[in-house]
Amino acid sequence: MSGKRLLLAAVLLAVAQIAFLSWMIAGRAAILRNGQEVLLKVAPIDPRDLLRGDYVRLGYEIRNVPVKLVANAPAGDFVTEQGPILVRLGKDEDGYWRVRSAALGEPQEQPPSGEVDIRGTVSGGWTLGPEASFSVDYGIDRFYVPEGEGRAIETDMRERPFGILAAVASDGTAQIKALMDGDTKLYEEPLY
Amino acid sequence: MASYSSRVRTDAARWVASGLIDGKTAEAIILDVAAHERRSLSFGSILAIMAGLLLGAAILIFVASNWEAIPRLARVGALFAIIFAGYVGGAVLKLNDHAAIGEAVWLIAAAAFGGSIALIGQMYHLSGDETQAVLVWCAGTAVAAAALRSGPLTIAAVALSAAWLILREVDFWRDSDFPYVFIGIAAVLWLVSYWTESAAARHLILLSLVLYAVLLAFERDAEVVGIAGVLAAVSAILFALAVLMPAQTEAIARLNGLLPVHALIGFLAGVIMIQFEFGGDAGPGFAIAAAAGLAGIVAAVVLAGRESRGLRWIAYTGFAIELCLIYAVMIQDMLGTAGFFLAAGAILGLLAFAIIRIEKRMKEPRLTEGAAA
Repeated sequence: MSGKRLLLAAVLLAVAQIAFLSWMIAGRAAILRNGQEVLLKVAPIDPRDLLRGDYVRLGYEIRNVPVKLVANAPAGDFVTEQGPILVRLGKDEDGYWRVRSAALGEPQEQPPSGEVDIRGTVSGGWTLGPEASFSVDYGIDRFYVPEGEGRAIETDMRERPFGILAAVASDGTAQIKALMDGDTKLYEEPLY
Repeated sequence: MASYSSRVRTDAARWVASGLIDGKTAEAIILDVAAHERRSLSFGSILAIMAGLLLGAAILIFVASNWEAIPRLARVGALFAIIFAGYVGGAVLKLNDHAAIGEAVWLIAAAAFGGSIALIGQMYHLSGDETQAVLVWCAGTAVAAAALRSGPLTIAAVALSAAWLILREVDFWRDSDFPYVFIGIAAVLWLVSYWTESAAARHLILLSLVLYAVLLAFERDAEVVGIAGVLAAVSAILFALAVLMPAQTEAIARLNGLLPVHALIGFLAGVIMIQFEFGGDAGPGFAIAAAAGLAGIVAAVVLAGRESRGLRWIAYTGFAIELCLIYAVMIQDMLGTAGFFLAAGAILGLLAFAIIRIEKRMKEPRLTEGAAA
């Protein structure tokens, strides 16, 4: 490769990779800026990620979705298939948002005002009995904190209710906005 | 190990002393060998690459520490600056005759790209997509390798793809599908490795394909024998092609003539998996697989062992593993094991006798030819 072409390739490559990363950031920031805010009740689970450091694992109250709330649960099947699910949330008296209904697959209609659809994945193998419920993964079950602070927050979480203020994009993608200790915001996420 | 040129130097001195060639010819040979020797693996360049890897690891761990003293927008900016300075600076170094250091700096830039993905995950609390993050990192590195025509970056991309394969399989909590896509990724990286002229990357791809087959067999434990059988058969075919048509296969695979070594590794992995599947009961299935394994090892040594020391060592290792497996499985019946070893020993002894005769015969005409000329 000639000198000029190698330099040009290096510059284009660097710009392309940086642009790609910026696009990732912009997409996430847009959800934080424009998404519908919902307050979700959480309980801690357990931490650490090799690549990204300390985090608190969050168990959401809305993680459990009863089968009887799923409008289009397949009648003949005994267990769930792995796939996307949209869970409709509504706000309760105490300020927390809870499951109203759910639909497997892609969205059919817009939620009525005061309610919001949040996107998750259901893994395969959950029983589909009328009294059963299954667990949904919303991709927001980690809260990254500076190294060493994870444990303290987890201990507190076991003593009193904590909440996550999340932003939900119009396509249902959720994004953590703040960690709430009762009514006080512990960590609030800046856009960037 | 002494390099080829230094060995030629001592040989040439001996040839001059014994009157085979004159001093002028010896000097010409030594110069020619030195000029054509590949300089890619000098000590300095290995150190440079290691330094690059260490600095890259430092970036990744720094990101993981989530240090609040530096605002995260500044961390993002610093990583972007490293990416830009790394790729462009590496190109400048390469053009100014510092190829090894240039490659090392490119590796740092690729690490900064991976670090940025991790940092974005941390900033926005993304969960459950480590495997996807590694895959994006792999793709970015492969693009960088192709754009800059870099061998070390190609190897890095292959290593990341293998890491992705392993992460996907280790992730017990998510019952995700088996990563069949890996075959496609390996094919793309293989093509990239032609463009970047990286034989080392192709070696790594072949090894990770063997790993893929092993993981696939673990995943579908009902079909272990079938999958392992296909692995062993494909490896045997590749081996036969490499031995029967060495020039043609080398022209396609371009593995410095080491395709038989990979084929033998794949074959042994397949045969040993079959034996594990039949393990416990020393039925006919186990015996057939064991016999096929030993026959394959002997065939490999006879057909290609002379050209490659690496292949001989893989064969010896495989042979030792086979003996241990057979002993472990047949231990409940020592007399049977003794009988099997007795027969195998006798056959190998006969083979050794035959091989020694054959190799002697093969050498003889060459000697007479040399004398006549």
